[in-house]
Amino acid sequence: MKQQKLENLSAMVDGEQSLEELQLDAHAEGELVEKWRSYHLIRDGLRKELPPELNFDISSKVSAALENEPTILSPRKRLHDLPVIGHVIPLVRQGGQFALAASVAVAMILGVQQFNQPKPEQPFSSAPALAIPGMQQGGLSPVSLEQTRPLPQTDALEQKRRINAYLTDHERQMRLKAIQQGKEHQQTSQPESQQK
Amino acid sequence: MAAALKQLNYQISFVLVQPNGGFEPYLWRHAIEDGVEVEHLSLQNGPGREIVRIGDLVSYFEPNVPAYSIRSTSINGPLPVTLFRQPELLNNSYDFVVVGRSRVAGRSAQQIRIVSKDRSRYGYNLWLDQDTGLLLKLDMMNLQGEPLEQVQVTSLHVTPEPDEYFSRIEAEKMPDVVLLNEAEPVPGRWKVNWLPAGMVEVRRDMHRLPLTGKMVDYIMLSDGLIDVSLYLQAVEPGASENGWLKYGANTLLSLQKGPLEITVVGKLPPQTANAIANSVQYIEAPQ
Repeated sequence: MKQQKLENLSAMVDGEQSLEELQLDAHAEGELVEKWRSYHLIRDGLRKELPPELNFDISSKVSAALENEPTILSPRKRLHDLPVIGHVIPLVRQGGQFALAASVAVAMILGVQQFNQPKPEQPFSSAPALAIPGMQQGGLSPVSLEQTRPLPQTDALEQKRRINAYLTDHERQMRLKAIQQGKEHQQTSQPESQQK
Repeated sequence: MAAALKQLNYQISFVLVQPNGGFEPYLWRHAIEDGVEVEHLSLQNGPGREIVRIGDLVSYFEPNVPAYSIRSTSINGPLPVTLFRQPELLNNSYDFVVVGRSRVAGRSAQQIRIVSKDRSRYGYNLWLDQDTGLLLKLDMMNLQGEPLEQVQVTSLHVTPEPDEYFSRIEAEKMPDVVLLNEAEPVPGRWKVNWLPAGMVEVRRDMHRLPLTGKMVDYIMLSDGLIDVSLYLQAVEPGASENGWLKYGANTLLSLQKGPLEITVVGKLPPQTANAIANSVQYIEAPQ
């Protein structure tokens, strides 16, 4: 019966069956609602229509799975016999579970975003800490950098052009600077240096 | 070191390693011919780039651009020129610390650490050849001590005679000197209120950017080791985004302040770039 329902649901998601045929009493069947969601997700995946970023939260499930995992205790219980440590260890283990669950979720999102901007920290005293307020990291993107977030195409092109313009000009100005230095050099009667 | 670089005949192969993993091998020849310094720097990969210096004439041969020459006493390449030519000029901005000896490129080397006085710029580790004082290795490190840009010499030959390569250069056939129309100094409409220790303003003008053709006010800052470009441009409010990025060891930071866009480009930490950009002040032009 249940199997039949699931198959019907699947067929409907695929557009092979109409809603009437399914004979749904959806209010009663929370499980089917869950399935409905995941079937759509699977379909999108198969059709390669997944959005670039999936935010579904799996941390609760991972956490639950870890909870059900049989805890393997070492036969020698010397540490646990100590009253304080015996209390601390379960705490640590639990914390570890949450951390693990959270990190799985984080890894998913990061994996999608390809977050590879270097993030400098610990500024010297006179400069404000980074993240600089009002500035999003990776907002600009030159040709050779991987894009960290999708920008509208025209904007991105325009921006690349601007950035390249600045970089090219910087390069050129550094050369031109040498000219000027050369002039000053000649005027100041060539201070010869013998350092090191 | 400075003396060695100017007076010896040498041929150095070195590799420039960039923070994104790219690297560029170079060949660098230097000689004294009839009392005139000649120098040749050549990029060995790809379409190549050749820079030849004869005395105070530097000629650039690059793909996509017609060859040109400029009057200059040094080649502006991947190596910081002032460090090798006039290291005493860096004393205002950097501290030099002799660290110890080690072996680099098969030669015994003296290691020197170069640290900016106020820690606002990247630091360097420099290895010099014990015998000749020539460059063996140069690492640029960020404030956490991770390498950003590295120059590693792979072979070094000092010869009594100039390399025969230089006898083939025909000085008369060098491209024409590009004459710059000396723009009169723009009245100081801008003030940069904060600069890292030892950094000074070396130039200020107004020119068009390549590619986009927009007019910008331009200020060049330098502490001898690194050059920083400061661009000021009027923009529509909201037309540009604040942001910064790293391009190799270069930091490009763009900041919008009212109707002004301030862009800082140079090999310096983004925090410093931000501090400089934020300190720029517009002064009403005295009429």
